[in-house]
Amino acid sequence: MDLLLAVLAGLTLHPLHTTLTQLAYRDADRAVEATVRVFADDFRAALGRDVTDSAAAAYVRSTLTLADPAGRPLAIAWCGLRRTGDLLWLCLRAPSSEGLSGLRVRVALLFERYADQINIVQASYAGRRAALLFTRGDAAKALP
Amino acid sequence: MSELAAYITLGFRHITDLEAMDHILFLFALAAIYRLRDWRDSLWVVTAFTVGHSVTLALAVTGTLMLPTRFIEFLIPVTIVATCLDNLIPSFQGVRTVGRYRPVFAGVFGLVHGAGFANYLRSMFVDQIALPLFGFNVGIELGQLVVLAVAAAALVALDRAFALVVPRPGQGVLRLRVVAVSAVVALIAARWAVERSPF
Repeated sequence: MDLLLAVLAGLTLHPLHTTLTQLAYRDADRAVEATVRVFADDFRAALGRDVTDSAAAAYVRSTLTLADPAGRPLAIAWCGLRRTGDLLWLCLRAPSSEGLSGLRVRVALLFERYADQINIVQASYAGRRAALLFTRGDAAKALP
Repeated sequence: MSELAAYITLGFRHITDLEAMDHILFLFALAAIYRLRDWRDSLWVVTAFTVGHSVTLALAVTGTLMLPTRFIEFLIPVTIVATCLDNLIPSFQGVRTVGRYRPVFAGVFGLVHGAGFANYLRSMFVDQIALPLFGFNVGIELGQLVVLAVAAAALVALDRAFALVVPRPGQGVLRLRVVAVSAVVALIAARWAVERSPF
């Protein structure tokens, strides 16, 4: 009976744990821009505190990496956040002269918090659209 | 990977994740009354569930239908308890649950479960909903078929275990399985319903 109660206590209803990162190349700035959509309550839980620009920037820069096709990391700068409803939109920019093709990406947001977290990356470039999908334990992946 | 493949994977993983116990247990409760030779009936039921949640998902995600999250999260375990009661009541009356109207039942309950998905998808994919919606639904349907296959194997194993202790095999084993599975699932879902009650 104790075992049954322990199992029951562990079962919960199941929210959808996902983020969406959209990548675009800004020709004018010669920079990759990443816009990350994340549920505000999940993000606040990951930070362990109220969401501020500095806390959000530090967390995202530790969990999202961009590198050129040779594997050299790109320097990521924070360009702000906004909130719509229960969603946060986080903005990042990284100078790059090489566009999106071959860009190596890793999005590990919230993996330390949710075992079922799935992070989707979308990119539109050179007349094509591509997607990458990250689950816990995934290494960086290259855009085609 | 194409965008469509990414959303199919999202739906598939969402429904087959062990933490998706609300949906997995609902499918177990739906499948509990069927024997292996009834596989066509159970496939109809799961497909009706998918049609139901696809309809609500489309209506809710496109903004045609707005449903309060708290109420939906309460209704989902209520549908699971109702399915278990539909299994249990004929068993206690000494007749086999045949599930004649079960596809309709599953379709209606699918409407409720779809609203649960919709609130997440609408927020995340607000400006580009068609492809995520389609891909997510395909993934959910494929995932449900996998869950159903696992449920069928688990129910067969349960039948074999019960056959060792039931003096009169056959209908006696099936009845014991329906009662045991439905009672456990109903208990879990009732706990969720109490936790999520908006009243």
